[in-house]
Amino acid sequence: MTLLHCLILAFILFTIGIFGVLTNRHLIGMLISIEIMLNAANINFVAFAYFKAQDPTAGTLFSIFSIAITACEMAVALAILIAMYRKHHSLDVNTQEINHE
Amino acid sequence: MILNIPFSDIVFYFVAAFMVLLSIAAVSSKNVLRSAIFLIATFLGTAILYLLLKAEFMAMAQIMLYVGGVVVFIIFAILLTSHLGENKLSTPISQKFLAVFLALTLLGVMAKFLFNTKELSESVAQKSPEASSLIAYGERLLSYAPNGFVLPFEIISILLFMTLVVAITIAKKDNKEEK
Repeated sequence: MTLLHCLILAFILFTIGIFGVLTNRHLIGMLISIEIMLNAANINFVAFAYFKAQDPTAGTLFSIFSIAITACEMAVALAILIAMYRKHHSLDVNTQEINHE
Repeated sequence: MILNIPFSDIVFYFVAAFMVLLSIAAVSSKNVLRSAIFLIATFLGTAILYLLLKAEFMAMAQIMLYVGGVVVFIIFAILLTSHLGENKLSTPISQKFLAVFLALTLLGVMAKFLFNTKELSESVAQKSPEASSLIAYGERLLSYAPNGFVLPFEIISILLFMTLVVAITIAKKDNKEEK
């Protein structure tokens, strides 16, 4: 297990997340793909803190803040999604129409 | 040959393969509820990876915040918005090929720059055991010293509070529109 292997794992997970965002038509499916991408970024933070950092405690604490921001982002995203579902009764991104009223 | 590999490396490769397979399953599953379950398994794999990287506090935060918080949010949203026929959304095969092509191009470009850097492949950890103890994290998080994290901690707590208020305001029923 070297730093290179951890970074390659994180890159593969990020690529899978991008594939999911590009192919999913369900809004919640796209959010799940975004979660996988953010998770890959956190793996990068922790791996660099373990292998390379001058100050490993600060490196690991930074990813705690990143996780907290992710939780905030998901709460707002799911609230928007529920409001959207109430208006359109669908979560398909291909059929969403924006009403200009 | 195979006896020279340490046990933690074997666990790392096993967990890495598990995470890649489960995240592929999570993004390509047609049923959204099922892909949320695969997402839980991916996050548990990440927690095991953090334990291998000697970040026990991160592993616990990962399980509590992601598995206990974010995925429960997602499952709530799925159950609140479940609708017959929504699970059968399909994308055209050309779009799938284009997505695979774009994602693999990005992976190739990133890996090209990664393999050019020689110093990434050393496996000696810089981290001392006392730097990752719970006491070290707590003291650093709440210290007022120039390298302390008390100001970001406060900002994060205010941000969380604001976010919850905003989420409730957005998601609540609007009486005027509903009539």
